[in-house]
Amino acid sequence: METVKCISSPEDLEKLRQEIIAKREPSKPSVSVCVSTGCVALGAWRVMEAFKAELDKQGLKDEVEIKETGCLGFCEQGPRVTVYPQEICYLKVKPEDVPEIVSKTILEKQIVERLLYTDRATGGTAQKLEDIPFYKYQLRLLLEDNAKIDPKNIEDYIALGGYCALAKSLFEMTPERVIEEIKKANLRGRGGGGFPTGLKWETTRNALGEPKYVIVNCDQGDPGAFMDRSLMEGNPHSVLEGLIIGGYAIGAHEGFVYVREEYPIAVESISTAIRQAEEYGLLGENIMGSGFNFRVKVHRGAGAFVSGESSALMTAIEGKVGEPRPKYVHTAVKGIWDKPSCLNNDKTWATVPLIILRGGQWFRRIGTEGSSGTMIFSLVGKVNNTGLVEVPMGITLRDLIYKIGGGIRGGKRFKAVQTGGPSGGLIPEEYLDLPVDFDELTKVGSMMGSGGMVVMDEDICMVDTARYFVDFLLEESCGKCIPCREGLRVLSKILNDVCEGKGKDEDVQTTEDIAETMREASLCALGQTAANPVLTSLKYFRDEWEQHIRDKRCSARVCKALINYYIDPEKCQACLFCLRECPVGAVQGGKDQVHWVDQEKCVKCGTCYEVCNFDAVKKLSGEPIPPHPPKGMKPVRKGK
Amino acid sequence: MKIVTLKIDDKEIKTEEGTTILEAAKRAGVEIPTLCYLEGLEPYGACRVCSVEIERRGRSRIVAACCYPAEEGLKVVTRSPKIDKIRKTIIELAGVMAGEDVAGETRALASEYHADLSRFRARVSMEPTKCILCGICVRRCIEATWDSAIGFIGRGVNRRVVLYPERAGTCAICNYCQRVCPTGRISSTGPDPPFPHVDDVLSGRK
Amino acid sequence: MELECQHCNYKWDYLGDNEYYATCPRCRYKVKIPKDKASVLRRKKLDQELKRRFPMEKRPGKLFGIAGIVNKVMEDYLYDESMLIQILLRLQRNFGWLPREMLSEVSKQLVVPVSQVYQVATFYKAFSIAPRGRHLVRVCMGTSCKVRGAPIVLDNLQRLMNVERGETTPDNRFSLETVNCLGCCALGPMMTVDGEYHGGVKLPNVKNILSKYG
Repeated sequence: METVKCISSPEDLEKLRQEIIAKREPSKPSVSVCVSTGCVALGAWRVMEAFKAELDKQGLKDEVEIKETGCLGFCEQGPRVTVYPQEICYLKVKPEDVPEIVSKTILEKQIVERLLYTDRATGGTAQKLEDIPFYKYQLRLLLEDNAKIDPKNIEDYIALGGYCALAKSLFEMTPERVIEEIKKANLRGRGGGGFPTGLKWETTRNALGEPKYVIVNCDQGDPGAFMDRSLMEGNPHSVLEGLIIGGYAIGAHEGFVYVREEYPIAVESISTAIRQAEEYGLLGENIMGSGFNFRVKVHRGAGAFVSGESSALMTAIEGKVGEPRPKYVHTAVKGIWDKPSCLNNDKTWATVPLIILRGGQWFRRIGTEGSSGTMIFSLVGKVNNTGLVEVPMGITLRDLIYKIGGGIRGGKRFKAVQTGGPSGGLIPEEYLDLPVDFDELTKVGSMMGSGGMVVMDEDICMVDTARYFVDFLLEESCGKCIPCREGLRVLSKILNDVCEGKGKDEDVQTTEDIAETMREASLCALGQTAANPVLTSLKYFRDEWEQHIRDKRCSARVCKALINYYIDPEKCQACLFCLRECPVGAVQGGKDQVHWVDQEKCVKCGTCYEVCNFDAVKKLSGEPIPPHPPKGMKPVRKGK
Repeated sequence: MKIVTLKIDDKEIKTEEGTTILEAAKRAGVEIPTLCYLEGLEPYGACRVCSVEIERRGRSRIVAACCYPAEEGLKVVTRSPKIDKIRKTIIELAGVMAGEDVAGETRALASEYHADLSRFRARVSMEPTKCILCGICVRRCIEATWDSAIGFIGRGVNRRVVLYPERAGTCAICNYCQRVCPTGRISSTGPDPPFPHVDDVLSGRK
Repeated sequence: MELECQHCNYKWDYLGDNEYYATCPRCRYKVKIPKDKASVLRRKKLDQELKRRFPMEKRPGKLFGIAGIVNKVMEDYLYDESMLIQILLRLQRNFGWLPREMLSEVSKQLVVPVSQVYQVATFYKAFSIAPRGRHLVRVCMGTSCKVRGAPIVLDNLQRLMNVERGETTPDNRFSLETVNCLGCCALGPMMTVDGEYHGGVKLPNVKNILSKYG
């Protein structure tokens, strides 16, 4: 690596940027492979090795550049490889495809058709990323750069204009002016609470006490949401730049970054980013020659969802157990070690440099009246296109699910969408035209939260979903206050009983009593919002509850104790698959004899349903089970 | 110290800024029930029995009186049908772990709010441990000896108060914990304090 | 260190080494030593003890066994109390699990109460007080993975390995745990073994995946 020059003024930064751009040739062919967690899980490192080996073999090591880049959120279609300068995007690349890509696309400039994105419905293909319908309707302010930078190389970020916002704040703006710009932009916290960021910064700045602290909250515990992971892995410098600007505005000289331990690649990314920023003089003493000092420390979480709550996080940074404490005096006034501390989500920090460079007015024009800017949603579940969606606030749920998500997978019927993680609720079909922003969804009992969106179809039981969330919160509750700890214990038992067919009529009233107590009297937001999934499932899907309690039936055929597996003798082809795979030997029959399920032995594991290739296994609920076919019955053979 | 005026149950009270609603009410003679509060220890805010309804700038919400600092112009209501129902449900929820035969503060509160301590027992079948995890004994022990002999372990419903064998020798037989336990769980102190042993709890024997 | 008696308001310079109380020379009342001043005393006591045991000027050369392992990690983190969780994470990663002796050693070297170390070690899921198997199997139970059938995968694993979640197989080969969201929500159901990700797990593949780890 060449000797690193320490940047000691904004002119140095500009000079370095010009040098880096001059060294790069835009027309030189290069290949960029995504190496974030999602693509790594599907084998991206093997694809990378295959590229290196193939280019070596063909003697092209010096002419073609290989780059590691970050996540763009369409993880199901990974590993993703982009070939420049034509910007051709290949999806689901395997190591065996690499020689073909090298010989056809790089050398002969031709496209390998089968590796392009293919639309499931229309069959059309798309060459460039922007033409893929999933990406066409997005406005990717924060995630765009993930495709162009290597998170372990600060020069990529500088080449795209990185750290110019920092130079502008340190040398051309006073701290009060920075806070005013953030207030003008109406930036609201992206962690779920939606508190006005400018107001929080101002409160921290005016609070008494030294030293002050700024904190990045990357402890995204919401199951089903992974945008913090994607941003921190792909572009850690944007978060770092926002943090330094925030420290300057508030008057803090020490910052903390709290990352989950379950995201090892993100921890590595941010640690490398901090080290490189210090080497280049953009962090540490006398940043860029302005006289402002700032240090950053990385703290790793250790597997507790409740530690993501702001007061719990501050307690964890102090080295004690991450339990929440009463926040009647705001943490902006009394936070870590009772000093003023400003905590924001990493998406909020990453938006700050954009606002400083382009102005608060520009930001305010995007989105709705009450919520400006874009929001990253994690659209997962039973939709055709799952992944991260960054769109301006105010988009309707219907557009999100059908236009960008591509509709329900397998042509099934939509039932509900669960928003906001364990603190949010279920929204049924009649509210699909609601615009999504901080305030709209609370009117129907749910909330936007940090952006999780799980789409559910007719094969998912709403009572089972409520039970899942209550069990999740029961495990993650810290156990300090009585309403949350005991309330969740009783609710979990009630819901488990209902799902097993032991529900009683007074359960609904008991649930509502406990939910009201939890909402009013719990210590922290986990307990206060814990009852939302249960209450919304009661409000909108009351008929499913009645079926479970009175008829002992599960219409979605999910709750194990209420369903039975049955093999249709008309369709069974006696292939012996399910007989062999059944872990308890409950499938009876033999070669050329129709199979049937012995209900006494069946443990309802679902293996036979998964492996049958002829759709012969059915799930019955609440219906009488037909008697098993006579011994030795021959299968009805379908045409050859 | 600045003096602020607030209204508790229609009584005008003057107090220093920064004192909690509970302390201000006590000085004025208004009783707010508590389970995890002890004079002289820092407020913990765990039992939520002291919940009161406050009205501030036109919005009303329910807060814990032992932790909320007094402000100018605050309106506090300590008894009302809504608050009584919440307190009753909290005591019934505490009854899941406390069991039927409790002594002390919990029994007095249960009879005052007509709480049925065995309402949820029928649903959740578990052996009552008689400990509601209010934390007074632990906080008292930490005040007495910085490296306390007892403490919390675990999280959520697996949270317990245990005795650390490494520190059992420092138990000063001061009787602090026995005097303040609101359920009467701590039956005696002495060379062998009646807390579950760390090994037992961690391996699931208790 | 200067102390003030709260009964008779007498101020004096305390030269003793009791960390919790001092006796007021004038009225004989027991005065509690405030926490921040107490830690100075404790650090002084630890230094004196170390100097007594190792009279050479250099840092003690080698501490054996568990004390040595803990000491090496402490040096990296500069004996900072606020990094307790990070220290335990590093020890868990290097050693595999946290025996009781290690917890009391951490409390001794870092000068934090034993109750705080125990509370941290049992609160978080990443720490294990019991020995773990050679390979750690983690199944993701996030919403997206659950909707795609993660409980069925978990059931299958439990039946194959004959353990419940949170336990280790008798031959010490595998430890089964669940985790709440690994961050690969588009690829459910997700499973990691020793940090290696396996996505889109289907029931027949589970046996194959496990057989790769001896």
